Amino acid sequence: MILLHKHNLHAIILALGLPVAAAYADNVDVSTIPQRDTVQLTIYNSEDLTLVRETRHITFSKGDNPLQFSWANTLIDPTSVDLRFQTHAQELDILDTTFPHDKPQMLYWNVKSDFSGSAVVEISYFTSGITWAADYVCVADTAEERMSFDGFVRITNNSGEDYENAQVRLVVGQINLVERIADLARRGLVSQDTSERLRLGAKVRQLEKRARGLAYSGLAAEMDDAARAPKAIVKEGLSEYFIFTIEGTETIKNTWSKRLRLFQGASVPFQIKYRYRPAEYGDQLVRLFILRNDEASSLGETPLPDGVVRLFRDNGRDGLSFLTAYSSKYVPIGQEIELNLGPDPQVIYERLRLRSWRDDFWFRTDNGKTYFSPTKGHKIRNNYPVGGWNDHEQRVERIRNYRDKPIEVEIRLSFQGHVVFTSELDPKLHDYRSPQFSAQIKPAERKDLGYEVTYHQGINRKQDDVTLKKPD
Amino acid sequence: MIHRIPVSKALLFATVVIALQGSHAQAGVKLITLPARERVEIQLDNFNTTLVEEERIVPLAEGVNDVVFAWANTNIDKDSIQFRCLTDPENIRVLSVSYPPGENALLWQVSSPRAGSARVRISYIIGGLDKTFMYRAIASNDEKTLTLWQYIQLHNNSNEAFGFAGMWAGFGDRLERPIGINETKRLLSAKFTDVRVKKTYTADLASHGYLDAPKKQLRIPMHYVLINDEEHGLGKFPLMPGKARIFQDDGHGTVAFLGEDWASFTPRDDEVSLYLGVAKDIVVKRTIDRRTKKRVLGQLYDYDIIVKYEIENFKDSPVVLDLAESMPALRAEILGNTGRHVEWTFGTQGTLKQVDRDKSTADRPVFHVTLEPRGDDQKAVKQVHTLHVIIKNEW
Repeated sequence: MILLHKHNLHAIILALGLPVAAAYADNVDVSTIPQRDTVQLTIYNSEDLTLVRETRHITFSKGDNPLQFSWANTLIDPTSVDLRFQTHAQELDILDTTFPHDKPQMLYWNVKSDFSGSAVVEISYFTSGITWAADYVCVADTAEERMSFDGFVRITNNSGEDYENAQVRLVVGQINLVERIADLARRGLVSQDTSERLRLGAKVRQLEKRARGLAYSGLAAEMDDAARAPKAIVKEGLSEYFIFTIEGTETIKNTWSKRLRLFQGASVPFQIKYRYRPAEYGDQLVRLFILRNDEASSLGETPLPDGVVRLFRDNGRDGLSFLTAYSSKYVPIGQEIELNLGPDPQVIYERLRLRSWRDDFWFRTDNGKTYFSPTKGHKIRNNYPVGGWNDHEQRVERIRNYRDKPIEVEIRLSFQGHVVFTSELDPKLHDYRSPQFSAQIKPAERKDLGYEVTYHQGINRKQDDVTLKKPD
Repeated sequence: MIHRIPVSKALLFATVVIALQGSHAQAGVKLITLPARERVEIQLDNFNTTLVEEERIVPLAEGVNDVVFAWANTNIDKDSIQFRCLTDPENIRVLSVSYPPGENALLWQVSSPRAGSARVRISYIIGGLDKTFMYRAIASNDEKTLTLWQYIQLHNNSNEAFGFAGMWAGFGDRLERPIGINETKRLLSAKFTDVRVKKTYTADLASHGYLDAPKKQLRIPMHYVLINDEEHGLGKFPLMPGKARIFQDDGHGTVAFLGEDWASFTPRDDEVSLYLGVAKDIVVKRTIDRRTKKRVLGQLYDYDIIVKYEIENFKDSPVVLDLAESMPALRAEILGNTGRHVEWTFGTQGTLKQVDRDKSTADRPVFHVTLEPRGDDQKAVKQVHTLHVIIKNEW
């Protein structure tokens, strides 16, 4: 048997039309190694999973044709390897598939042919080790009104196999896997009785089927290295997922990474807001650039996959200022994008407590079940402990704006317990315990946003929510 | 394989000038040009992150060019590297970026419609090139004003020399200096003259503790307080945190070191308070003269408290003492910590009644007491002040 070591993957056709068992038991073999004609990678970003489809021309002779497929030193899931006939499908049949017990990462197909001649076969399998990730580079203009918003994808191949001239498709979405492909690859040969246990989730198979059904033009696309323009990336929806198809073909050698531009958003308008939302941004007033992933904003061609956003600003001195870098979550088409710049040293936010007091006391009587209040005319004995009261806090949120533009501030507070929130700030409830209000602060203005919080304590606590109230 | 030629110790920037066909990186024979840096800008305006921008003139052939950027022993954030062509950016385009395995390098495929030189700008975030701020001030002999120098200190542990590099801290002037490997460079970033300074002495047990606990004598720190506004000679930008060393003109043509403190981040209009030392010539003894528990109803009580301060100024100059009392600390002292906010009012019997509304908070009233200098007989006049407080509705 002759082995070529250009790749770790081999599809070998054993030349003698011998029974399969005899063919690979012999010490002397003659075999041919059909090369890949085309290869397509469909890479998922939510799991370490890539669907590989490759086609090869194989010459069959009439009768039984043993075909060996091996994948030494790769991360291929053996349970997923599949062979189909793209031509002469009516005249070719797989009689059986054998995983030899003494040769890991190898299988034999015994193909029965009703004709002699060449046919195109498609071999598909799942591999781990090929990943992709998005990242974004945004540059705001000096006036902080518009920005460039460029998306990139970076593909990394650690699968153990070189994929040359591959059509590359990238899938965005959260798929369900019942077992990790890397584990299946490591486990090696799969016996019949464990095949049920190792079965992939139904959703994956469904996805695979749909992916196969997608138009797959340009299988024999030529290398287009001479192209003078960055490659276009075709974006299209697929069930719950989104698929990016990179124009032409790419060569991604094992252990290499490659980064390509996904889209280019020029002059994207954005708003600046300041928000205090401790649950989302921590206990600080943060500065946000807010834009929308839609066509009106020169975006909206594709959802934005999870990825690191790096935000710069043209500093007006022929250079950039680095503003922030953080991991952004998936943004569907049409949804708002928040770029969080963190606290702004030019906008100072403080909370001041002006006064605290208590009232509406209730006292527990001797029997421990009845409560008396002096305001109800009850007689309070010296030994009656306090059983209920109201805590009051008068507070202000103080904001100073040292920027040369007015700013819009949104403050969302959250209270535990039975709370009455009294204010003239026209607050709204975000949820049952979170009042929020907003204000505009002019340049060089100091604004105090005042309110009173009443906590009903002890037996005065009847609810666990916040009620909004206007001052009397 | 990327050919590394030591243009600088840590960085290599190279252009493979032949418009290659097919698999560029694997070409066995390469002709490499090594464009030198034309300009370097170090952007120091981000609080935590340093951005380097460098420009080089790159010879490009017509077609697709491989442009290699490699580095060794330097902490460049690989994912932050950006390549922008300043010459004909519409037509000279980056097609892709490849990351060779195990190499601190990347390879841009750049297409050019014609042969010629192009100015490109490469930006990256670098670690080990950090900055700190420090301040030096010389106060006038009468301690009414001072001259303040703000320095930016650049510590270059990035293992890369940058030659003459422009630097900008986000405020003030752009500076241009060479910065070598492992060098620390201190640059004057701002100078303020005639900055009005206020010298304060503070009696506050909760914040500063006792100097002599058995005698109930409080530690009285002396601070220099600078207000970051134009009226006080500052106010041009927020003051970054850093060490401040304060000297005083001793009246004999030299200076004396008064002390140093860490200046906190100070927004405009805020004040920075620098603790320089303990004023042992101002003696404040604090005792609790009255603690009377008064029933309100049932098991609900008010506490009637008088805190007494015996104050002596042994200095030969008059002093204004800031006297502060923390209500949560006072309650903890007399009845423990209940976890509730302190509800309190002033009683009528104290001598301290006029609070400083700007400096006081709901839980910490601040008073000012003017102290005369010690007399000709070297004796200090003892002033006794009392703070009468009702802590209300406790149980």
